[in-house]
Amino acid sequence: MGRLILRRLLATVPVLVLVTFGVFLLIHLVPGDPVEAMLGESQDAVAKETLRHELGFDQPLYVQYVTWIGHVVQGDLGRSVRTHQTVLDNVSHRIRPSLELAVFAMLISLCVAIPLGIVTATHRNSVIDSLGTSFVLFGICMPNFVIALLLIFVFGVTLHWLPISSYTDPFDDPVAGLRSLMLPAITLGLALAAVIARTLRSSLLETLADDYVRTARAKGLAEWTVVRGHALKNALIPVVTVLGLQFGTLIGGAVITEYIFALPGVGRLVVDAVFARDYPLVQGVVLLICVGFIASNLVVDILYGWIDPRIRYSA
Amino acid sequence: MIGERRWQFVRRALSARFARFGGIVVLVVVAMAISAPFISPYDPIKQDLSTALSTPSLAHPLGTDNNGRDVLARVIWGTRISLAAGLVSVAIGALAGCLLGLAAGYWGGGIDGFLMRLVDAVLSFPALVLALALGAVLGAGLPGVLLALGVVYTPTFARLMRGQVLTIRTREYVHAARLLGGRDWWILARHVLPNAASPIVVQASLSIGFAILAEASLSFLGLGVQPPDPAWGSMINAGRGYLQQAPWMVFGPGAALFLTVLGLNFVGDALRDALDPRTRG
Repeated sequence: MGRLILRRLLATVPVLVLVTFGVFLLIHLVPGDPVEAMLGESQDAVAKETLRHELGFDQPLYVQYVTWIGHVVQGDLGRSVRTHQTVLDNVSHRIRPSLELAVFAMLISLCVAIPLGIVTATHRNSVIDSLGTSFVLFGICMPNFVIALLLIFVFGVTLHWLPISSYTDPFDDPVAGLRSLMLPAITLGLALAAVIARTLRSSLLETLADDYVRTARAKGLAEWTVVRGHALKNALIPVVTVLGLQFGTLIGGAVITEYIFALPGVGRLVVDAVFARDYPLVQGVVLLICVGFIASNLVVDILYGWIDPRIRYSA
Repeated sequence: MIGERRWQFVRRALSARFARFGGIVVLVVVAMAISAPFISPYDPIKQDLSTALSTPSLAHPLGTDNNGRDVLARVIWGTRISLAAGLVSVAIGALAGCLLGLAAGYWGGGIDGFLMRLVDAVLSFPALVLALALGAVLGAGLPGVLLALGVVYTPTFARLMRGQVLTIRTREYVHAARLLGGRDWWILARHVLPNAASPIVVQASLSIGFAILAEASLSFLGLGVQPPDPAWGSMINAGRGYLQQAPWMVFGPGAALFLTVLGLNFVGDALRDALDPRTRG
């Protein structure tokens, strides 16, 4: 197990270096002068020169990268050109709603996907299976911003059951907090539920055809005992991988969901920074998101090795 | 013989679940995109404030928007932008990815190691965040979005092509071509690429639907096609503020987007099943 962790950690290092290089280059892809793009043409030359010097644009590219990466490893990811707050300050103020949204969405998706995956696999080619497959197709093909607007239209505008654009921290007021996160979490959770249910269905179908499942049935065990006690555990292994892979989709979905429901999260911060042309903030937040994504993939890889010993031994 | 195999492939593809429905949807969308100037009932850009926010009727089957523009006409013209976005961004991703995958798989060694780490690095960016960041620096508008989505799709094709090439380069006919003195690029173009193409075509067909969704997401956020041009994502965003008075502004383009992606998914699944019957669920 230690060998697997070491191997995965070492494999992450070159990827991290290339990611930092890509994020660093982002600001230099701006057509024309990035300083002019950020401040606009109306700003005076002194302000532009000051910002250019602050961002190190008057240095050669490799010097800029070395200086920037030097600051990054010390935890200095830069500063917003609009608010002059550090990136870490900006993110730390916004991370809580994003995490609450992600956890809530994940819970909803698992509560929907696991029963759905089991029922559609155990009732293959039945009406239930067709309904389940239709739900999966809906979740995968319907863009989450349309799902969000549908939910707002039904539960917010028509029925007035849930708030459509306010945020209350569930730790301050649990009822109001959960109500404010309900629609965004369903929006984000539905697409995730569709992918997990599809993976679990096909994985369970494969497992249910295995010899040891046939043996369990031959022993006279009830079907539910066979599914729960013998097939489900093994069928859940690919679901762990999918959950890890879906972390990226979750972040992308959160960007749009937070934008629609006006949640003050990290996704909304990225969109606001993009429209304000606050490139150092975009750069810092994107780097943090990527590091989080790489870390989550690493955890899933290691978890996968822990669940399935074959992977541990092949490493 | 080849004709018979192709016919079998088409029959297998058509027998997949919902393949015919998907095929019809895709054909209708393509026909709409091509014949938009002839079938569109109104000018999609011309404003007529006297008919603003009209409910769906015979004159305006999907109603009108806040500027009095016919929603159906804008949905029909929007198919052009969506299809172009899907096709061009996937073509960019497939071309760049195939070249990288060919080089990595064929030459191996340090080139393979470097290119695959590069691919891993691009995959470390959540897709929409990467598209958003690239779209932000390249500027709002369709070209920036196409390029950004092309970059997002490149790693998938690179990995797929590399895997194919690793298998094909050990085949006897590749060794024979090398022994006959064939140059690397000739072997790649004449022997490797044609034999590795099938999974790439399937992946491309599956990716187009998701590229259309991604373009719509970026347009929804305001980074894609700019108003007054009719793109489904920006139309839905414009309708967001009128959800109570005119929900048709959202649900017309939303339904078009959903059906198009659904149809493309069915076609992609059918092609995949026809190539590899083991994947049939």
